Amino acid sequence: MMGPLTALPLTLCVLFAGMILVGVLDALAWRLLGRVPIDDDDRLTLGGLRAVIRRQSISTERPDLAAWRLAPALYFGLAAAGLALVPVAVAVGRAPVDVEAGIVVWGAVEALTVIAVFLHGWSSNALLPLMGAYRFVAIGLSIMLVSMFVLIGAALPAGSLRLTAIVESQRELWNLVRQPLGLPLFLLLGLAITLRGPLDYADAPDLAGGTSAEDNAQLRLAWQLARAAMLVAFAAMAATVFLGGPLGPVLPGPVWLALKAGLVAAVLVVLGHLLARPDASRMMTFIWVVLLPLSFLDLAIAGLEALR
Amino acid sequence: MSWADGVFWLLAAVALLTGWRVFRTDSMVRASFLLLASFIAVGAMMLMLGAAYLGFATIFMMAVEMMVMALFMVMFMMNPAGLNPMVMVHQHGLAIVAGLVTFAGLSAFALSLDLPDRPLPGGAEVIAPLGRELLGPSMLVFESAGVTLLATMLCVVILSSRSGRFGPSDLGSVPPAVDPAIEEDP
Amino acid sequence: MTLQAIGVVAAGLIGLGVYGTLSQQSIVMLMMGLELIINGVLLATVGFWSLTTGGLPEGQLLAIVAMAVMAVEMAIGFALVVAVFRRREVDMTDRLGSMKH
Repeated sequence: MMGPLTALPLTLCVLFAGMILVGVLDALAWRLLGRVPIDDDDRLTLGGLRAVIRRQSISTERPDLAAWRLAPALYFGLAAAGLALVPVAVAVGRAPVDVEAGIVVWGAVEALTVIAVFLHGWSSNALLPLMGAYRFVAIGLSIMLVSMFVLIGAALPAGSLRLTAIVESQRELWNLVRQPLGLPLFLLLGLAITLRGPLDYADAPDLAGGTSAEDNAQLRLAWQLARAAMLVAFAAMAATVFLGGPLGPVLPGPVWLALKAGLVAAVLVVLGHLLARPDASRMMTFIWVVLLPLSFLDLAIAGLEALR
Repeated sequence: MSWADGVFWLLAAVALLTGWRVFRTDSMVRASFLLLASFIAVGAMMLMLGAAYLGFATIFMMAVEMMVMALFMVMFMMNPAGLNPMVMVHQHGLAIVAGLVTFAGLSAFALSLDLPDRPLPGGAEVIAPLGRELLGPSMLVFESAGVTLLATMLCVVILSSRSGRFGPSDLGSVPPAVDPAIEEDP
Repeated sequence: MTLQAIGVVAAGLIGLGVYGTLSQQSIVMLMMGLELIINGVLLATVGFWSLTTGGLPEGQLLAIVAMAVMAVEMAIGFALVVAVFRRREVDMTDRLGSMKH
């Protein structure tokens, strides 16, 4: 484990660099694919940023102000906590925060993220945000269940809940190959907790912005930044658990990790722009009837593989 | 007093204060998330005690549970957002006395305990032994818990599902009469 | 962080839980009281495990059983609230005169 004086600045620097990358990826995807029209607010430029900060602040009638202001901070903090768990090099102790039950901590980050999004929608005391929050909780908790089974499967070959051990177990074969169902299912969780594309039931345009519908400009900016941060954390985690994290020839570990995480982020951004969002109740049925059994199958495959 | 003691008492204060505010706030959503804060503080205390898995598992499990709780609160409460002050208590005096007596009795019990001082050895593995215990000597206990949870799931679906065998449960869901003439008879 | 200190904090949580369970009219709030009681039990269990057993795995097992109890309590409680509300449109304990269907 690194000391707090190294861990905190390192995590935050990587997070900010990643957020810039996410912004670039989003802009590129929008320009190249152009399927989903996004709000002007979503495309951040420096000039736009200044305008946003200066814009007049509005509010709703009797909101829960504390929760409203704190929700983006909570979301961002959870992203930072998730990213801090990721091992940057292959050796015990090479993650900013290296804990024995690392993958369980990531599970807690996922669960608390659902709460952050719910608080964001609920606290403005308005109809559309509340609907977004409710929809998101139903979908988010269900898809989280799927991701838990997938993550347990990824921990099986390592025989440990520690993320460095999970990386180490992929030295010969990545979990992507060993458990082919794992990464696709985990990516769906990524779409959900970063509020993107087919699983964006919180901030979708069909609810005029959903949980963000009543946000003033500054809050919306903070929320979008936190969303980008969560994508960075998720991409790094997916690269660690399924793509061998910092493992790779020639190049140093952190570079490999950055490349893999960048690839995962790009895939998520593209998926978010290309896939349509079904009705929430249909998605719910799909998750419970199709995805959850698939995650059981993934766990069975991982178990058989580990027994061999 | 070492810094660990300071952190411990801080967490204890958070756990108790938020636990108390649960019953004092007007907003149902705040009440469930205050309870979550109490659980997170207890989870952190467990981590300090060396329960590397249980501490995080508590935080994780309670986050999900309290999220569900908040949803149910909003569904069933006439005052979900806390726009109106409200007190919804009965036998308040009795409850306060019972709470205080419980606290006093259990504290006296805790303070009078004379148990062996065998702390967890520093740097000891705790997660792997727990797993071996669960799927080894104590498998029966673990599996009983698992079967109980499965039975719970079935119970919950049976109790709460709307569609009964003979129509919607809130309309009675009574079996049809064998002889149609009986049904027409008042 | 002695066993006595942990015991007192756990007793405080259990006492708060008893107060909530006895005083709240709403069934969901009552369940919060029950949760607080189990919260205290969990803390005490882990405290005993950590400070008096020298890391005996059975102590952690007991905490896991307490967690399972908590999950069962929550799930059955919510199912009962839903069932009672469907039938009688009631979510308060005082308005439940009988336990018959």
